[in-house]
Amino acid sequence: MSHSHGNASSANDPRQPSAAKPYTPRPVAPEDLPVDYSGFIAVILGVSGVMFRYKICSWLAIIFCAQSLANMRNLENDLKQISMAMMFAIMGLVTNYLGPNRPATKK
Amino acid sequence: MCRSFSFALIFYLFLHYRIIVASQFEGFDGEEDDVSDDSSHLHHSLPPPLLTQSHSSLSDLEPEPESSSAESNSDLISESDPEHESDSTTPSSTPFEYWDEDEFEGLPMEIETLESPLIAENTTPSDPKTLDLKTSSETQEGTTDQMKKKKSYAVEIACVVFLIALAVNYFVGKRENESLALAWAAKFASKDTIFQKNFSLLGVSEGEDSPLLLKEALNVFKFYASGRRYCHGLLATMELKSRHDLISRMFNLVVPCKDEITFEVYMNEDTMDHVVFAMARKKAAKTMQKEMRDLQRFAGIVSSPAGRKWVSEELAVISESKEVAADMITDTVLDQVFGDKAVDKYGKNFMSMHISDQHPGKHKKMMLFKFSLPDAKHMDDIVRLVALIPYYIDLVGRYRLSSQARNKTESGRQKAAEEAYKELQNARQEALQKKKAEKKKMMEEAEAKLSAEVIRKKEAKERARQKIQLHGVDVVSKAAIWRLVQPSRLTSISPLSRFWTPSMSTCRHDKQQRVYLLMSSYTEKSLPNRSTPLASTIS
Repeated sequence: MSHSHGNASSANDPRQPSAAKPYTPRPVAPEDLPVDYSGFIAVILGVSGVMFRYKICSWLAIIFCAQSLANMRNLENDLKQISMAMMFAIMGLVTNYLGPNRPATKK
Repeated sequence: MCRSFSFALIFYLFLHYRIIVASQFEGFDGEEDDVSDDSSHLHHSLPPPLLTQSHSSLSDLEPEPESSSAESNSDLISESDPEHESDSTTPSSTPFEYWDEDEFEGLPMEIETLESPLIAENTTPSDPKTLDLKTSSETQEGTTDQMKKKKSYAVEIACVVFLIALAVNYFVGKRENESLALAWAAKFASKDTIFQKNFSLLGVSEGEDSPLLLKEALNVFKFYASGRRYCHGLLATMELKSRHDLISRMFNLVVPCKDEITFEVYMNEDTMDHVVFAMARKKAAKTMQKEMRDLQRFAGIVSSPAGRKWVSEELAVISESKEVAADMITDTVLDQVFGDKAVDKYGKNFMSMHISDQHPGKHKKMMLFKFSLPDAKHMDDIVRLVALIPYYIDLVGRYRLSSQARNKTESGRQKAAEEAYKELQNARQEALQKKKAEKKKMMEEAEAKLSAEVIRKKEAKERARQKIQLHGVDVVSKAAIWRLVQPSRLTSISPLSRFWTPSMSTCRHDKQQRVYLLMSSYTEKSLPNRSTPLASTIS
């Protein structure tokens, strides 16, 4: 009933198989993709976590890494940034937990 | 930058290892090392000068019972206190003195934190009464430390829990989005539905059972249809909420957003007349009119005409002329969706529609429809809205302007086209000039390079020619020179001397030549250019 007016205005079938064109995906320039803010934040937090040895920064960096990973669109480009952020975050955690405090925690 | 930074990081890590290693070999530290250590800290602590030596030995011995007492208290202090730890790291402060401090930015802070408890320790053992006080304070510190440790673990637990929640939400949200998109596809693109009846090709790839939806991201789905009169394609893009992303989901709790679907209908170039028309909710219409270039240029907001049924109060119409607006808003449309009665029931998911033959971009003649998506169970809500699309394709495809209106629009478009052309020309010219300048620069550079090369080559040639001239001196004459100039010298060259006898000089010409060739191969290195002037004089 609702789409009847679509057909009512045309006496016959509106379809034209001869005019069908297959889908051509528009090439998307990497600049047009939405900016990966979470990846950027992850890098910054990861670096600050390593630099100032804040555990919370490294942890947050890992969380933002996960978010960035979930929103990833362009595999090659984003993976670079994410892996870098991940590296910093893990490095920060390693220095925090296995750093000079280690002998102390062992005892 | 990144690389240099990582190098700095590696140094930083290395530093930590130094500290660890140094603390592990604490017991192996030489006695004199400690002494020197103490003496180096004398300037800070300033104890009575005469007692320093005995003090140093005392301070060497004293930490041990202290540490043993600390160990005896170990049932109280589960994890050793920071004081003890800093005690263990003290000897490591000496190697730092050999390090370039400028190279390690974090280092000076480290030393300060290491030194401050050390100074305190150097002074405290001087009177043994404070030791008891200290141990009691240590136990207190231990308990507070324990509390701190618990507190710090809270952060880790929270983070890990959040990470797990993130992972769980990823899969749950992904499935939610997929089910919503599939519900839409089942409602409108499966068998005997609107799109199936109107388009001969459905789906993003050719073939009978091609997938209907293209998943571009976890929250973006695309649907393509083609093969209908008046248009050569329709692309629907569903932009759903980022349900897979917990953080943006939480953000959406604060700033709510909707699932949207946008239909782009690419009209055939020859069948669409000059139409610029848009309709949206009042607020959105104003921003559209300001921001869309074609609307801004050709159209304005049209007030509702008197004595005619018109769209609901909530909606605003933007159009090039009243005629177009009146022709685009037909009675059927008003009855079905946009009229006063229908809009509350069927139009609540309507966001905007935009028909234009002057779209900026690749496709100029395009229709855009934007609706919000209901949840998967209420897909019926937008059936009438989606039905608008084929209706408008037919309406716009058949529509012809009156000659009067066409004249008006034609002039407007001509003007716009001229302006666009001019702009393009300008841009092209600019680009051309830039290119020319670049080319010129490159040519100049190349020329400079070339000329330098040519000069170098010329010089090389000249040199070569001179050399050839020298070497090209008649062999016979050279031999003559040899004979004239160097008999005595040649005799000193042992392997040849036996050939060079007086009788040889009277030999036949060709033999002489051979001898000379042999000789020259031997003597060329040992003989300087002395022959040059002579050769020239003789030749």
